[in-house]
Amino acid sequence: MARFVLKRLGLGIVLLWLVVTVVFLALHAVPGDPAAILLGSEGAGSVTPEALARVRSQLGLDKPILVQYTDYLLRLVRFDLGTSFRSTDVPVLSYISDRLPKTLELVFAAALLAVMVGIPLGALAARIGGLVDTLISSLTTLGISMPVYVIGTIFVLVFSLQWGMFPAGGYATLEANPVGHFQRLVLPAIALSFGIGSVVARMTRSSVLETVAQDWVRTARSQGLPRAQVFRRHVIRNSLTPVVTTLGLEIGTLLGSTVLIERVFTWPGMGSLLIDAVNARDYPVVQGIVIVIAALFILINLIVDLLYGVLDPRARQ
Amino acid sequence: MATLSRRSVLGAGSVSLGLLLTGCQGTATPGQSAAKLASELKIGLSADVPDLKPSRDQGAAAMMLDTLIHRGLLGYDAQGKVVPALAESFTPSADNKSFTVKLRKGLKFSDGSALTSANVKKTLEFLATSASGAKIYATMSKLESVETPDDLTAIVKLKGANVAFPSYLADTTAAILPDKAFSAQGTSWEGAGPFKLDTTQKGVSFTFTKNPEFYDAAKVNFEKVIVTVYADGQARLNALLATDVQLIDFVPWESFDRVKQDASLKLDPQSGPWMYLHFNVAKGGPLANEKVRQAIALAVNRENVAKAAFSGQANVVAGSPIAESSQFYDSKLASGWKQDVAKAKQLMAEAGYASGFDAVLLTSSQYAFHQDTALSVQPDLAAIGIRTTLDSGDWATRQTKAAEGRYDIAVAGSAGVVNDPSFLVNFVTGPAANNRSFGFDDPQLDALLQKGLEASTDADRKAVYNQVQERILTTVPFASLVGRAQAFAYSKKLTGFANIPGFLTFESGYTLVGAQLQA
Repeated sequence: MARFVLKRLGLGIVLLWLVVTVVFLALHAVPGDPAAILLGSEGAGSVTPEALARVRSQLGLDKPILVQYTDYLLRLVRFDLGTSFRSTDVPVLSYISDRLPKTLELVFAAALLAVMVGIPLGALAARIGGLVDTLISSLTTLGISMPVYVIGTIFVLVFSLQWGMFPAGGYATLEANPVGHFQRLVLPAIALSFGIGSVVARMTRSSVLETVAQDWVRTARSQGLPRAQVFRRHVIRNSLTPVVTTLGLEIGTLLGSTVLIERVFTWPGMGSLLIDAVNARDYPVVQGIVIVIAALFILINLIVDLLYGVLDPRARQ
Repeated sequence: MATLSRRSVLGAGSVSLGLLLTGCQGTATPGQSAAKLASELKIGLSADVPDLKPSRDQGAAAMMLDTLIHRGLLGYDAQGKVVPALAESFTPSADNKSFTVKLRKGLKFSDGSALTSANVKKTLEFLATSASGAKIYATMSKLESVETPDDLTAIVKLKGANVAFPSYLADTTAAILPDKAFSAQGTSWEGAGPFKLDTTQKGVSFTFTKNPEFYDAAKVNFEKVIVTVYADGQARLNALLATDVQLIDFVPWESFDRVKQDASLKLDPQSGPWMYLHFNVAKGGPLANEKVRQAIALAVNRENVAKAAFSGQANVVAGSPIAESSQFYDSKLASGWKQDVAKAKQLMAEAGYASGFDAVLLTSSQYAFHQDTALSVQPDLAAIGIRTTLDSGDWATRQTKAAEGRYDIAVAGSAGVVNDPSFLVNFVTGPAANNRSFGFDDPQLDALLQKGLEASTDADRKAVYNQVQERILTTVPFASLVGRAQAFAYSKKLTGFANIPGFLTFESGYTLVGAQLQA
């Protein structure tokens, strides 16, 4: 097991280096000068070529690209992601450490909701069938096909503006305002969970149906075990392996979906930071975020692989 | 109450400081029904401000924060008149080349340190260095010296006359700052304004508390101001509708009616930045010919631009962008470029381009209204034979290409630093820049603009700026399109806050001193 984990970690580091390189080159290849943004927003005053050159020099963007790349890699191995172009006294790591927990909170709240609702719904559809199955399948189709920002916008219109049940967005810290914090978490978390919850429900349904048809289920029933016990203790557990795989991949996708949902609800996570940083051509922040997201993706997949072993002892071999 | 010199008259608009010192900032009457007033104001802001840099033009959101944290020698009232701030008096010399500043007594920065004429000197000298990247550098570059005979007096001398100088010093970026702001990586999160920064959640919110050291602290009705960033226009509006905040800036144009429908809210629009086309004349060819530029200015359907790009929330500007309320406004000159396609075609023929030409129209897809403006003018240009190809990249690319002259015609949106027509100088002369015609040079226009700064009476100034507007109609350094509405929306419980007219809309945070919110 240890060898397996080390091998996967090694591969992960190589993958991270590739991601860093591609993102670094891509950012420098696309047109758009960070200095132009720093020198003036829309509607602001004059930006002269001299001022552009001065700011480029201050940011080190006038150095050859290979030098910039080498400098960046050398800093990176010391876990130094640099400082933001927009706020040169604030390290990128500080931005990320501030925003990442907020995004993770949103993602895990959504994933938790998806598991708590999706697995029972999928199992119910498979177990009962008929009209319940049709109804759940229709709901999950809607959940998958509806863009997350549409769901979010509908939630704001209905639950915030129409009924006044929740704030329309924003963020309150857990320490200063715990009630306000959870009030602001509910809508984005539910909106974000719709898609992944639907996928989990559908995967659970098909996996349960497949498992129920296995010979060992019939054997268990023929040995006198009650139907409910067989279903709960054996069928569900044996159906979860593909669900966990899907969940792992979907959590990665959720990280991407937060970009939209954070915008709709003004939730200050990594997604909104990424959008702002891309628009501002804040290379260090963009690179830092991509590295962290890629690392998370690799880590989640590693955890999923390890979970196989827990759920299905055959996988350990 | 301060005693003013009889000559303490501000050149721009000839506003007497004596009148202004009677306290015309805001309309509130602090103290009245104090028990019913809220001590906290929540503002929804359209953009994050990662860092406040001294003197820089960092956009509307930063200016709002500046007006909370800082004060300069002068400021603006709700009508856009220059009023004293840290200066007790500001006295111009007869030739408008020298200005004597008398500071209020006992001024302090929010950290408790004394604010003296030495800070004034250091700040003004910083603004006058090109490396500062100061928003008002063009004006401040004419600074000759700042003398400080005592702690309360500063004598500011310019290399040439500038009757509009006080207006520039009233801009938020001319705030007087403590010395540490001018270090290599200095920031300007501390000042001598009505509030001081208490806490920041990066990219989320800023919490300000009342600054007891502020010279006019008695008029500040809020103990706390919480500014939350809502970058998305709809999210910002939703926050106001859901009463999460009481005031938002930059109301999306398409949402004006939604705000008007809500009886508890007030929409406060002003004609703010203006949209225009500028040209690359350095390449030679058709756009170097003023008849072609005149033809373009006459060919454009400005009503269409207002509808297509601003949901109709913009006013036509068919001349120099001088507000109708300004004493320098002239209705005939303001409609000099009224659409006349037949005349435009005739001018194209006279210029030798009867069959038209191909051109690149630079815009940006990052701001829908910039792209929509380009899409709206494209068929108008085609109607007189100018076949344009849209170059619509992100904002950074647009800015870089415009500054480096990689375009033929460009869509732009900008604002003057001040409402005084002297602001026009930034759009017709100076080094190559993103927001003015590349390679354009008109010494006659430059001379007129200089004359405008030197003219001392209102009548003289009006005559000169009429000539400026006439010259602009002829040489077309830019082709104005529309003045876009810039609106704040707020709870009707908030009184005393006002959207300052014209380009000064971004300085509106000044009026929060004296504003009050019913609990």
